[in-house]
Amino acid sequence: MRTGHYKESLGQLVALTDSPTVKAWSIGLVVVLLAAPFAIGNYGLTLMVSALIAVIGAVGLNMLTGTTGLISLGQAGFLAVGAYTNAILLADFGWPVWLSLPAAGIAAAIVSIIVGIPSLRLKGLYLAITTLAFAFIINHIILYAEWLTHGPNGVFVTGATLFDIDLQKGKPLYYLTLGITILTILAALNISRTRIGRAWMAIRDHDIAARVMGIDLVRYKLLAFMCSSFIVGIAGALISLQIRFVNIDVFALILSIEALAIIILGGLGSIAGAVLGAVFLSFLPEAIRLFFTAFVDPNSTFYTSYVFEIRGVVYGVVIVVFLRFVPDGLIGLWRNVRKYWSNWPLAY
Amino acid sequence: MDFFLLLISTGLVSGAAYGLIAMGFALIYKATGVVNFAHGELVMLTAYISFSLASAFDLSFFPLMALTIPISMAIGLALERIFIRPMLGEPIFAIVMVTVGLAVILRGVTIMIWGPDPFNATAGLPTGVIEIGSIPFYPAQLYMIGALAVMTLLAWLFLRFSRLGIAMRAVAANETAALLVGISVSRIHAFAWMFSSAIASVAGVLFAANFKLAPDLWFQGLKSFPAVILGGMDSVIGAALAGLIIGVVENLFQGYVGQGLREISGFIVIIIVLMVRPYGLFGSREIERV
Repeated sequence: MRTGHYKESLGQLVALTDSPTVKAWSIGLVVVLLAAPFAIGNYGLTLMVSALIAVIGAVGLNMLTGTTGLISLGQAGFLAVGAYTNAILLADFGWPVWLSLPAAGIAAAIVSIIVGIPSLRLKGLYLAITTLAFAFIINHIILYAEWLTHGPNGVFVTGATLFDIDLQKGKPLYYLTLGITILTILAALNISRTRIGRAWMAIRDHDIAARVMGIDLVRYKLLAFMCSSFIVGIAGALISLQIRFVNIDVFALILSIEALAIIILGGLGSIAGAVLGAVFLSFLPEAIRLFFTAFVDPNSTFYTSYVFEIRGVVYGVVIVVFLRFVPDGLIGLWRNVRKYWSNWPLAY
Repeated sequence: MDFFLLLISTGLVSGAAYGLIAMGFALIYKATGVVNFAHGELVMLTAYISFSLASAFDLSFFPLMALTIPISMAIGLALERIFIRPMLGEPIFAIVMVTVGLAVILRGVTIMIWGPDPFNATAGLPTGVIEIGSIPFYPAQLYMIGALAVMTLLAWLFLRFSRLGIAMRAVAANETAALLVGISVSRIHAFAWMFSSAIASVAGVLFAANFKLAPDLWFQGLKSFPAVILGGMDSVIGAALAGLIIGVVENLFQGYVGQGLREISGFIVIIIVLMVRPYGLFGSREIERV
């Protein structure tokens, strides 16, 4: 049993973790993820890529909603901006993929400033509604700016090659996504320990108190919007690489709700929670499919015609049940288990 | 000129729909402080239920409403009991997220029951064209405007004079103080949900009669947000009036500015209103400078 934390140097204080167990498990996980493509088939790989993209998006949203406490229902809009920027730059302008990916993030960040400015006067529900309105406006602009976005025809994403490797296929896409995921998580973990991250948390907990303590609300709220949208924009770009064909229907409102479901499920404000939630929800549709295969006929007309509705209902139930019974999310459950384990047989 | 009048008149009709839906939002927000993201789904669900009732019993409009409204109130009560009541005392964010979850559940269930194909619902209304001045109206359109007027009047009378309405305003003003003077806050919340669902059913039935009954009806809920914001989130009467304004503005945008702008002009209005006057036209002003 650990009795306390003894930190004697700056290096120990700023280290991401002081626990050898956590380090060992993290390294083990990365090794497993690196080896995974050789063990699972193409279908499994596609699922893994989707899950990793969801992780990136969730970590991005968590920065805004979990850490800073600004509720956004406009994630679909930022994802769309990222995906379209990437797709158009690759397909129509012939940019190399190592430029178009960051450009997608930057485009989303720039758009987020426009959304962020009204948010400077707004909090909570008003902000949620503004971001929702913004997502509709973005979708509308994409649909009607045909000279740039091909309007309702969508964009075929081609030309994502790096050193003659097609980044849109199986293993290369997987490794690209994995790399970006690890970078995102590390970046998010590090930001949350800096002045910026602490300022965000202060704003979430009490904005007036934060202002009194000298935190520039305007600056830090906008910064939260930008950092979060940058990450979400890159997630959108990766989606466009994976699905190869970007169309406005991909970025429906349900995507924003799914994103919120992920971070609520994982545990608001926790990066590990966002990761857990994203993995869990990404495999949920698969679980539903397996359930239907095991207990009901998967080719029944009910399943095939209402697959999206079933998924929606399950998301809804997950959101409601977690908010009601597990408000701290999966990460809260995990913390309780860990506490119980390390303190046993003492109560606390 | 005729074109202008036509835009105004059809704008008033769709505005009346926004107004009715927005009233439901505002009522729940006023009494419970929660933005009910499931309201659009409630509108859709009650519209489908009334459609089934109408086709089963072949009713005309008023008997149909007399049947639909109590059922919707029961649904509102049940939803409040099952989903919202257990969350009492939790942060507002959590409760609002529950309504978001509730919204996707209701949407999915409704589509699973009635299928994805649109229906033609007349709600037992006559379909002949009535001309007022030189502008043609369908009866359903006039009923919509009439329903808004009646509902606004009822809401005003209720909130102004009835014991329950005054209690509701007390809860809206200060929940703790209301509890202290002996108002059962949870009962007020339940009533707010019931009345809101009743208004939702009126809006849903008439909207379906005016346009069509399709699974994208829930979207009207989101499209009514501009009206809610413009009216001020906690003003029921303001929501009704703002609905009309938004409806007309949308139509004028569509007619004079550009095709397709109809869909988003309301949302542009939201953003402008929120930046200039976040408490809306009639909402109560919360003073908190940061």
